[in-house]
Amino acid sequence: MLADEKHHIVQGEYFVSEDPRAVVSTILGSCVAACMRDPVAGVGGMNHFLLPGEGAGQEGLRYGAYAMELLVNGLLQRGARRERLEAKLFGGGRLLKGLTDIGLQNAEFAERFLQDEGIAYGGGSLRGDHARRIQFWPVSGRVRQQKLVGDATAFAAESRPRERRAAQEDIELFDDFGAGRRPAARETGNDLELF
Amino acid sequence: MPAPASISTLIVDDQMTMRALVRAALNQIGITEIREAPDGEAGLRSLVSSPANLVISDYNMPKLDGLGLLRAVRSYAPLKNTAFIMLTGRADIDLVARARQFGVNNYLVKPFTTQTLKQKISEVFGPLG
Repeated sequence: MLADEKHHIVQGEYFVSEDPRAVVSTILGSCVAACMRDPVAGVGGMNHFLLPGEGAGQEGLRYGAYAMELLVNGLLQRGARRERLEAKLFGGGRLLKGLTDIGLQNAEFAERFLQDEGIAYGGGSLRGDHARRIQFWPVSGRVRQQKLVGDATAFAAESRPRERRAAQEDIELFDDFGAGRRPAARETGNDLELF
Repeated sequence: MPAPASISTLIVDDQMTMRALVRAALNQIGITEIREAPDGEAGLRSLVSSPANLVISDYNMPKLDGLGLLRAVRSYAPLKNTAFIMLTGRADIDLVARARQFGVNNYLVKPFTTQTLKQKISEVFGPLG
């Protein structure tokens, strides 16, 4: 079995691949990552965005729409078809109490985008009060989420995710990425399984 | 100094979200006569049946992309004077050069602000009244 080809993205970036060995990871606080793929074309990708400024204001929404467009266009250019796209969403956490819930705005924007664009929403893990490490295999659609538990402020500034330290709890997601079907989610303590 | 309300505009983009955001920005500027099309082919059909003063078009689209739409507009006599603004991504410098060759009037880099959109339209039509 060939080793995974690992890629890491940070806020404002996206990654698209048709390589079955590719796995893309990111760390999310209030940011959102969309994991999107076309199972027929065998191509998938992930982005990582944060609505700037007032979040749900016009400028923020335009930025979010552009972040999603980059991912969608990257997939279409590699042979994906818009009508076959399916997506999972992660992130949008509220790490700092008392401030504007920008994580909620990011999550709501992403859900609305999928709905408006007719892209099948396959569930995921949005909101909550914790950060997440996401690994996504773009071709198979498998997603693995690790809930990151630690000092919330360590995740607030997401510009340097590689340097973060936190206690981690591994969570494996068993994921067939069914089109148009939102998997049931079950929370058991700190663990989240999608099935 | 054209009145914004007098500039009939066609927005061409395959993302409904982006069309809605461009429409909202145009409304803020005072442009209210707005049509939309989801790809270049539909945009061209719309223009042939009813010309517009201004086309704001995305580049990456199915069927007919923004550059194809621009070329079609410039090569069809009844439409050749239509003002054409191309929406581009930050990395599309080559696209801007090619669009200029085909007679684009201006371009707008996404994600854009309402003020930038207004400025780009003013550069084509003159100061908006």
